[in-house]
Amino acid sequence: MAAKLITKLQKIVGEKYLQHVGEQLHVSPATTDEVSAILRAANDAGAVVMPTGGGTKLGWGNPVAAQVVLHTSRMKKVLEHTWQDLTVCMQAGCTWDGMQQTLARHGQMVALDPMWPELATIGGIAATNDSGALRLRYGSLRDLVLGMTIVLADGTIARSGGKVVKNVAGYDMHKLMTGAHGTLGIITEVNFRLHPLEKHAEQWSVLGDVAALGSAMLKVLDSTMQVSAMQIVSSGMGQPARLDVRFAGHPDCLADQRERLRAIVGGLEMEINGDTVWKSREKLFSRAAQRDALVIKAVMLPTQIASITAMLGSGNCESQSVTQARGLMTAALYGNAETLARLVRELRSELAYSGGSVVVLRMPQAMQGSIDAWGEVGTSLPLMRRVKYELDSASILNRGRMAGGI
Amino acid sequence: MRPEVLKELERIVGAKGLIARPEQLATYECDGLTNFRESPGAVVLPESAAEVQAVVQLCARHKIPFVSRGAGTRLSGGALPVQGCLLIGLSRMNRILEVDTANQRVTVEPGVINTHVTQRVAAAGYFFAPDPSSQPVCTLGGNVAENSGGAHCLKYGFTSTHVLGVEVVLPTGELVHLGGAGEDAPGYDLLGVVVGSEGTLGVVTKIILRITKRPETVQTVLAAFDSTTAAAQAVSDIIAAGMLPAAIEMMDRVSIEAVEAAVHANYPLCDGLLLVELDGPRAEVDALMTGVKKICKDNGAWEIRLAQSDEERALLWKGRKAAFAAMGRVAHNYIVQDGVIPRTALPKMLKAMERMSRETGLRIANVFHAGDGNLHPMVLYDENNVGEESRALELSYDILRLCVDSGGSITGEHGVGREKQQVMGYMFSEPDLDTMQRVRCAFDPELISNPDKVFPRPRLCAEKTGKWEPHPLEVAGKAEIF
Repeated sequence: MAAKLITKLQKIVGEKYLQHVGEQLHVSPATTDEVSAILRAANDAGAVVMPTGGGTKLGWGNPVAAQVVLHTSRMKKVLEHTWQDLTVCMQAGCTWDGMQQTLARHGQMVALDPMWPELATIGGIAATNDSGALRLRYGSLRDLVLGMTIVLADGTIARSGGKVVKNVAGYDMHKLMTGAHGTLGIITEVNFRLHPLEKHAEQWSVLGDVAALGSAMLKVLDSTMQVSAMQIVSSGMGQPARLDVRFAGHPDCLADQRERLRAIVGGLEMEINGDTVWKSREKLFSRAAQRDALVIKAVMLPTQIASITAMLGSGNCESQSVTQARGLMTAALYGNAETLARLVRELRSELAYSGGSVVVLRMPQAMQGSIDAWGEVGTSLPLMRRVKYELDSASILNRGRMAGGI
Repeated sequence: MRPEVLKELERIVGAKGLIARPEQLATYECDGLTNFRESPGAVVLPESAAEVQAVVQLCARHKIPFVSRGAGTRLSGGALPVQGCLLIGLSRMNRILEVDTANQRVTVEPGVINTHVTQRVAAAGYFFAPDPSSQPVCTLGGNVAENSGGAHCLKYGFTSTHVLGVEVVLPTGELVHLGGAGEDAPGYDLLGVVVGSEGTLGVVTKIILRITKRPETVQTVLAAFDSTTAAAQAVSDIIAAGMLPAAIEMMDRVSIEAVEAAVHANYPLCDGLLLVELDGPRAEVDALMTGVKKICKDNGAWEIRLAQSDEERALLWKGRKAAFAAMGRVAHNYIVQDGVIPRTALPKMLKAMERMSRETGLRIANVFHAGDGNLHPMVLYDENNVGEESRALELSYDILRLCVDSGGSITGEHGVGREKQQVMGYMFSEPDLDTMQRVRCAFDPELISNPDKVFPRPRLCAEKTGKWEPHPLEVAGKAEIF
C-alpha cells in the first residue's frame, strides 16, 4: 500500500480511526467532508474502496478486492426529525432499529422492514435495496427515500431530492444510488418520508398446500382489504406451507377485515400469529449459512408464485422459500453444486420470459465461479457501464460488485 | 430544416407523418406554458418504436436537437421546441398493448391518455392512480417525463411508484429496456432516473404500468374556515392524528370566487376551504371521517358538508380541478407556480405571500395540495399594463426562492422545463447539478435530447473533472485540508 495514501488517510481521520487489517486499510470517517477527502485520496492512488455499515450483506453481488474499507459506523446521527411533517434526515451509518426507535417515540416509522435491522445500517440497506413484506402496502425504498447526500469517487459531494414528500426538481439520483451496491457513490445522508406506526394490527397464518395458498393470495390482492404485508412460506418436501397476512387499521374495523380474510380462504385452516413470522427470511439465511446453501432472490409475477414455489419444493434438491406477495422470493437451495447451477439457469430462463430475474445472494463455496451472481442484465448494460464511467471513471468504488461485473 | 433531412424523415414516417409547413408548425410552438414560444424546424408523428428509433438515429447522425411531446399540457415549457429542432409528437402511438389485471399490470404506448387506462380496467375494479388535473387529455409518456402527481398522490404516490418498466430510445439511437414486468431488475435503477427527467434522456416508446384496486368506498368532505391559517392547522391535526387521507386540498377566497364563476361547484364563499377525501374499507372510512369532521370543527370550520352522492363528489372535485382555468374569470393573465414546502411552514409562507402581494400590488390566488405542502400560487396580472408581466414573473420566482429557504422545492409536479431553469441554481449547488449532468452525458453525449431545459447551464460531456491537486499551502505544511 502506498505510504502516501496512508499518510493522507491518517491526516483526514486521525490515527485512531485508521487501522491496518492484513493488507487492508480500515478507515472510519465522522463526516461527509471526511468521506469526500478519503475518496479523493483513494481516487488519486487508484485504490479500490469498499464502503460498509453493519456488514450484513457484504456477500451479495460479486466479491470485491478492496484496499480500503470505509466504515460508516461513526455517522449515525438523527439530523432532523420533523415529526409534524412526517420526514426525517438521517446519517447513513445509523442502524435501522436505531432510527426506528427514535421515530417510534412520535408514533412514526419508515415503512420498510429489511433484514437484520439491529445490525444493518441505513446506507447498506439503501445500497442493496433490501425490503420486507411491508412493501406490499408502502412500496420499496424508491418510494420512501426523499433525498440523499452522496459522495462520488472523485470526492464530489452531491445532494439530490430534498426533505419534502413531493418534489420533481432534477434527476432522482437517490433512486440511482438505491440498489447500486455502493458502486456509484457513497451514501452519507438519507431523507425519508414517514408513516404512522400501525398501532392496531393482526397477523394470521393460513395453512394449506401451495396451490391453494397461491390462489388465496391472489384473491386477497384482488380484494378491497387493506393488507399491509403478505407472504408465502414454504419449507419444501411435503411440509405444509403457510400464507401470512397482516392487516392494520382502526381498532373497530379489524374484526371486519378478519371476516373478509376468512371468507376468502374458505375451508383452509387459519391461526393467529405474531410479528416473528416476518423474520422468516432471516431464519432462512441463518439455516442456509450453517449448511453452506445457495440463497437466491427470484423475482416473478404474483400469478407465478405458487407454481415456482411448488417447482422448487418438488425438485431433486431440498429448498425453503419466503415469497412476498409482490413476487419477490428469497429461497435457500441445498444440493450439489452442479444440480444447483442447473436449477438457477432453468429458473432464469423461465422467469426472464415474463420479465423476472434471479440474483444470487449467497454463493456456496463449491459454486464460486460456476454461475454469475446477477444473470443477464439485458439491453441496458452498455448504458449502465457509461453511467458508472461518468461517475467513477477509475472504478474505485466496489470494483466489479455490480451486475455485468461493473 | 435541410431538404435532404426532411426527405429522410419522410422516408421513415411517410408523408402523413411529417409536418414542415410553417402554418402547421404553429400548433407545436408551445405547451401549456403559453408565454414561451418557439417554432420547431419540423414535426414527425411516428407510429411505432421502430420509427421513433430511426428518427432519433437520424438526429444523432446529424446532431439535430429533438423534443418529444404528447398532448402538450406541460406547465413548465418542457415540450417547448428549441430553435430548428425536430419535434417528435407521440400522439399516434396510443395503443393499450396488454392488460393483465391478475398481476395488476398494463402495458401501453406513450401516446395513451391517462384516463383511458382507468376506463379500460374499471370494470375489473381497478384504476391508474396518478391523477394530474389534465388527466382527461394528457398522455402517459408525458406523465413519465414529468413524474406527474395529482391530488391523490398524497396516499398513492407519484407516477414513478406506478411505472414498472419502460422501453426507451436513447439519444444515441439505441433501444433499451429499463425495469420490466418484474420488480427490482438486476443492475442500476435507471428507470428511476428516466421517470421525471423531462424528456432529456431519450424518448419513451412503451410503458409497463401498475394499476391499483379501487377502494371499497370513497368519501369527500368540504369544510369552510375563516382563514387559510385555521384550515392549515386542521390539516396538520389530521396528519398528526396518524391519518393518511387520499387527498387534502385547500383553496383561498380568490380561487373560490373564480371557480364559482366558472363551474358553479357550489362552494361556500370563505377564506380557507378544505376538501378532504378518505378511501378504503367502508367501516374504516366511516370511523376516520368522524375524526376528520371533529378536527375541522375544533379548528373553527363553520360549514362541514359531506358529499352525499357520486355526483356531489364529482362536482366538488370539478371545482378544484378547474381552478387554474377558472382564473380567467377574475384576471386577464396569471402565472401558476408549483412550490413545495414542509407542511409546518404553511402559515409562515401564507403570511409572506400576503406581504409580497401587498408590496407588489399583484393579487395572488392560492390552491394547494395541502396534505403534502405543494402550493400552486397564481400571480394575477394584466399583460396590457406595461411591465406587469415581468413583475409578476419575478414575484412568482421570489415565491419559489422562499419555498427553498423554507426547506422545500421549486417544483412538486409541474417540472423545471424552461420556466424554472434559473431557479434550479437556487435550489441545488453546482456539484449537485454537475452530478446530475454527468448522468445525462451517459445517456446523451451530444446533448440533443430536449436541450436547454432543466439545468441552468449545459455541461459539456467531454468535461472531465481533473485529478485532484493539493493546495500549495497544504504542500508547504501551512494548512490542512479536510
